[in-house]
Formats: sequence, C-alpha cells, structure tokens
Amino acid sequence: MVARRIHTGLLVAGLTLVCSPAAGSDQDPSAETSYEALRATQEVFHDVVEKVVPFLVRIETVGGSQPTAPLPEDETEEEKPRKRRQHQFQDSLGSDFVVADGPTTGLVYSSDGYIITSSFNFVREPILISGVLPDGRRMAADLVARDQVRKIALLKVEAEGLPTPKWAGVDDVRVGQWAIALGLGLGEQEPSVSVGIISALNRMSGNAIQTDAKLSPANYGGPLCDSSGRIVGLCTPMAQRHGELAGAEMYDSGVGFALYRERIDDIVSVLKHGKSFYRGWLGISVDTRFMEGVIVANVAVPSPTHSADVKVGDRLVSANGSPLRHYGDLMRALYMLPAGEQVNLVIDRGGKEWQASVKLARSDELGSLPEVAEPFDPSLPVPKEEPPQP
Amino acid sequence: MPRLGAYILALAAWATVLSPAVRAGGFDHAIESAGIRTVKLYGLGAGLQAGYGSGIIVSEDGLVLTVFSLLIDARTIRATASDGTRYEAEVVHRDTERQLALLKLVQSRHPNQPDGTIEQANDAALRFPFFDLSGRPELRRGDWVIAAGNPFKVADGAEPVSIAHGVLSAKTRLDAKRRTKKFPYTGDVLVIDSITSNPGAPGSALVNLEGRLVGMIGRVVISELTHTHFNYAYPVDVLHEFFLEATGATPSKPEPSGRADEERPRPADLGLRLSKAGYRKVLPFVERVRRGSPAARAGIRPDDLILSINGKTVADVEACNRRLETLSPQEPVVLVIRRGRTIHSVRIEWEEE
Repeated sequence: MVARRIHTGLLVAGLTLVCSPAAGSDQDPSAETSYEALRATQEVFHDVVEKVVPFLVRIETVGGSQPTAPLPEDETEEEKPRKRRQHQFQDSLGSDFVVADGPTTGLVYSSDGYIITSSFNFVREPILISGVLPDGRRMAADLVARDQVRKIALLKVEAEGLPTPKWAGVDDVRVGQWAIALGLGLGEQEPSVSVGIISALNRMSGNAIQTDAKLSPANYGGPLCDSSGRIVGLCTPMAQRHGELAGAEMYDSGVGFALYRERIDDIVSVLKHGKSFYRGWLGISVDTRFMEGVIVANVAVPSPTHSADVKVGDRLVSANGSPLRHYGDLMRALYMLPAGEQVNLVIDRGGKEWQASVKLARSDELGSLPEVAEPFDPSLPVPKEEPPQP
Repeated sequence: MPRLGAYILALAAWATVLSPAVRAGGFDHAIESAGIRTVKLYGLGAGLQAGYGSGIIVSEDGLVLTVFSLLIDARTIRATASDGTRYEAEVVHRDTERQLALLKLVQSRHPNQPDGTIEQANDAALRFPFFDLSGRPELRRGDWVIAAGNPFKVADGAEPVSIAHGVLSAKTRLDAKRRTKKFPYTGDVLVIDSITSNPGAPGSALVNLEGRLVGMIGRVVISELTHTHFNYAYPVDVLHEFFLEATGATPSKPEPSGRADEERPRPADLGLRLSKAGYRKVLPFVERVRRGSPAARAGIRPDDLILSINGKTVADVEACNRRLETLSPQEPVVLVIRRGRTIHSVRIEWEEE
C-alpha cells in the first residue's frame, strides 16, 4: 500500500514536470500559494464561517464602569501604612487596557441556553446583559458565574433547543493547521474573520492553544475554529501573570490564546452552580530584591501558609514540582491556579527540606501582614529552627 | 533621442503590466500588480504624525489618491514611483470629511537629486500604470487580500514597497477617534486582519488575489467599539465617489461650515425625556414620554431602559442623547428597550405629528 502510494506520488510529480517545465523542479515552493490553492483556502474559510455562525451570540452590556485603583484618597498619614497592609493582597486587573462600550461575542455551550464567553467582557460589572441569539432573538442574559483566572464566563438565557457546535478535542489539534477566529465585537450581524494557524499547544500551564490569528475585543469570547468548522478553543486574553485583563494589551499582535475544550468543560461544570473562580493567594510576601531563591519575607495572619506553619525566612524550593529559582518562577507556578486549588510546596528551613500542602485563598480571606520589626535579610544567618513534624 | 528613451521605458512598463496577466492571480501576481501602482510619499511631519506615507495611482496621467494628513500640507510633496523615479505631487483636492486627498504627479523641478539617477520625460509624456476605480471586484469575508505601501518608510527609491497579507475580516461602518477627537469619516470600511495601523501605511493599496484594487488603507484610528487600533480600508466605491468629485465629474458635497450649520435642520424629536441624576454615568431610563409624540405612538413608556438606537448600543444617558440628536425624520428609528425582564425591539415612525 505504501509502495503504491509512492508510485502515484512519483507519477503526479512527473506529470507536474511535464505540464510546467518552467518550474524546473518537482518541488515548486510556490505551489502552496498558487492561485488555485489560495482560492481553495478562501472557500474553506467561507465554509467555516457558514458552519459556525449558527452558534454565535452577540452580547451587549449596559452600565458598569472601568474599575480603577482601589486605594481610598481621604486616608490620613497615620492610616496609610495600615491601609496599605490591608491592600497587600488586592486583586489587580493586570493591564491598563480600557474596555470599550461595544458588543462582544459568546458561543452557545448547551442547547438549554448556556452561553460561554470571555470574562474580559464583564470586568466593568455591567448592570444589564442581553444576548442576541443566532436566530435573531434578543434576550436578557444572566451572568451565572465567571472564572477570573482562566477568564471565561457563563451566561444563561431562557431558551431551549439551541443548536450546539462540534468541538475538536486536545488530540485533534496540530501545530501548523489553520485556525480561524470569529467574533461579533464590531457590531455587525455577520462575524468578523481572522485567519492564522495554531502556533503552539499547551500554553498557559497547559490550559490554552496559541494562535497567530488576530485576537482582540472584536473576537474575545468567540470561537477559534479548525478548517472543518469544529471549535478548538474559546478566544480570551491571557498572559503569564495574574489579572483579568492581563494579555489584552497584546491584542492583534499575532500572539493570542484560546482555552481548550476539556478545560472549559471542567470549569463550566463548576460555574453552572453559580460558583465563580478567583485569584488564588498563598498569603506571603517575598522580598523581590533578592534574585536567587524565593525567601518568605512575611506571612499574613490568617492565611493558608500561616496555617501550614510557613515562617519568615523559609525558602520555597518548589511548587507542584516546579523548581522555584526566583520570584518569577513562583508567579508562573501559580497564575493559572484559582483560589481553592491545592499547591504542594517544598520548603527549606535551615538546610532541612519539608513539604506543605497549601490550599490557595481568595484575597478577602487573607488577614494583613504582621508588623515586622525589621525587614528580613537573607544574608544574615538563619535562626536554626526545626521544621514542623508532618 | 530622449523621446526614444521614454518610449522604451513606457514599453518596459507595459510589459510588466501585461506579463502577469498570463496567470489569473495569486500572491505574487497581486504583489506585482499593486507594487507598480503604488507610490511612496514624503512631505510634512510633526510630532507623532509621520512625514511620509503611501498613495495609489488612479489615472494614466498620474493622479494619486492618498489620505488627508499633515503630510500633504508640505510646500513640496515628493513622490517616488515603483521604478525609483522621483516626482513632485500637487494637491488637486482635499476632503476633510472623508479624510481623503487627490494629488497629481508632475515632473520634479529638481531632477538632479543626489541619488536620483533616472532621466525623466516631460509631463506630457508621463504615463503610469494605474488602478481602475470603476471596477467593483467581489470580496467576501475570509478572502485573501494584499496591502502594498510604505509603512515605516522601509522602502527607498526603486525598492519595492512593503507587502502584508491577510483576509477581509468584516465590512462595517467606521466609528473611531484619533486621540480624543472623533474621526470625521463614519462611512463604510473594509476591516482586515493584517496590521496596517502603522505610520506610513495610510494610503496603501489593498488588492484581492487577482491584483485588483478593493480598497485603500485609512488613517491610524482607535475604534470606539473595541478601544483598539483599527486596521481598515476605504472600499473602492467610496474612493471612486471621491475621485469623481475631486476631478469635477460630479458636484462635490459642500464642506461643512458655520453657515451650513445654521441651515442644518433642527434635530428630530422623538418626544423622550431621559432620567437625570447626579452620577457620572446614568442609565438611559425613560423618565417621561410626551403625549402624541412619535415615541408615545410607538408605545414607549416611562421606566423603559433604552439599550440601543438603530443598532448602536447606548451605554448611558449622554451617549443616548448624542445619538438621538443625529436622528433624521426621514428614516424610521428602531429602539431596543428593556422593560422588566423582557427585551423589545420598537420601530418608531415619524409621520402624523
């Protein structure tokens, strides 16, 4: 069978040679961009749009405003240090990107009216949300819950029998294949189209596909599709750091991300119960002046690390198996883990390593950082103290 | 003798135009076709405004379309054709409303540029390959497009212009700003998924796979809908309309002026009063509906919340009032309102009152 195929291949190559002697070689590098080949790809893109349009929902929001820095302005000089401590674990947006008034995109998730979209669209906490269904019906939509870490949101409209799209699983996606992003963010009935390829798999701690299709508020919340019209992921801004807007500043850059189907299913099964995901915190501060090692400079009380008996001066060796050489490693180990997730820490205290399992907390579950007489200095000898017995 | 030289040059130009016609299309064909019809422009720049740009040749005798910008205010606008020949460009017509300009290439008064080595023919003999604006090539969303121009002025002299490929993303109306000012052109645009929102790119040709002109890249703007730099082109029919006005083939629309403002009809009145409160952003709830007004006849009631007017979302009272002021009594208005938990689309007719 293999031999036969090679035979046919040679025959075709021979024919090409005969037909186009000007090419001079059986490996014409411009064959993929020949007029005929390009026309054929255009047809593929048209078909994808046609197949996926029936699952797109235009989301319009009313009210709400761009969140701003949370520090109160009327604080007195006395209050300042205390307030600052309270705000030590303030969730940030992660980007200066300003969300506009325009509509955004959602995708029908299930026939009973669940719509998935990017949580990007709700940073402004709009008062009212409405969805325009593929059949043109405009309906009030409820924000069921949202994941501020993996950045998807679940909406619900009162509808039955909605058509649902075909999805491609993780194993069906290959680097280099066409990736087509669709969105309704420009306010038109017809979706905007951006074409690229799958640039990488397993980005963002294994949560996302990377594409060079141009992703922006025009298609955040919309689907990334393969050439057969299957959905390979949900487009949403992402970056290797915390913050619900992190990554939005990279819009249209050719570096874009879409959340995998499998991850979406996991998250939606929780969101459906009205439970949102928030940034997960350890509740420690780390002195970022030291480039080598992640050394605990302070521990909030209460906090999950305090409960696990982590102390000032401890060195965090690894988190969930990833070695921590510096603060950046710690951030990268945690940025895709919401509050409630367990993190296995290996900690070094006075030369002895021990393990602690810490459940990440929401910022509002953390107490303030206690006053430290003087900033911890890792260059001084560490007081010998035995690690806690497991 | 120079006459013969010009003849040979013209023949050579024709050969370049004709040879790709053997094949019907493709990126290479489109690039060649667009490249020879695109010029590099140099003029006045200041601050963030680039003193260089791109333009497209739209007539055999060297009329060039580009965007309206500071560049064309220069005392001397210089243009370099694809063969490296330098010309000067005179402004034929400018349109601040559409932000377009028409230039005419003329023989340079300073032909002996240090690096300009090509002899020039006199104006009467100037012949250029050009884009035919009367064509209306079909273009669907997802179709390949090629943008040809001189972003960041990386191409000098006879060097071919920069090429970017992408697909047609969408056809929409432009709703954009430049810094804090509303961008005056609010007509149809082609949105593309190639990044053209760069200095020097405005005025670039946008062609399809067959190398036919489908649009021209517009000025760098920020979309009001997405708060992002917008990559768009004027469709060829808008360019053609401007071209016909600029060349006097059709009467041009009067430029807006103070006097024209007075003559403008008073804004149409639907008979709505919206909620007022001290907050920064107030949701556009209807406070009162004047009896017998178009809004009342259409069944709008107090406490209805206006979500959109003629398809445009209105986020607050201010946006709502702004949009209400632009309504024309010639066209029916469609309001989308929310009443309790339900959303209604209401069509308002102006007649009878």
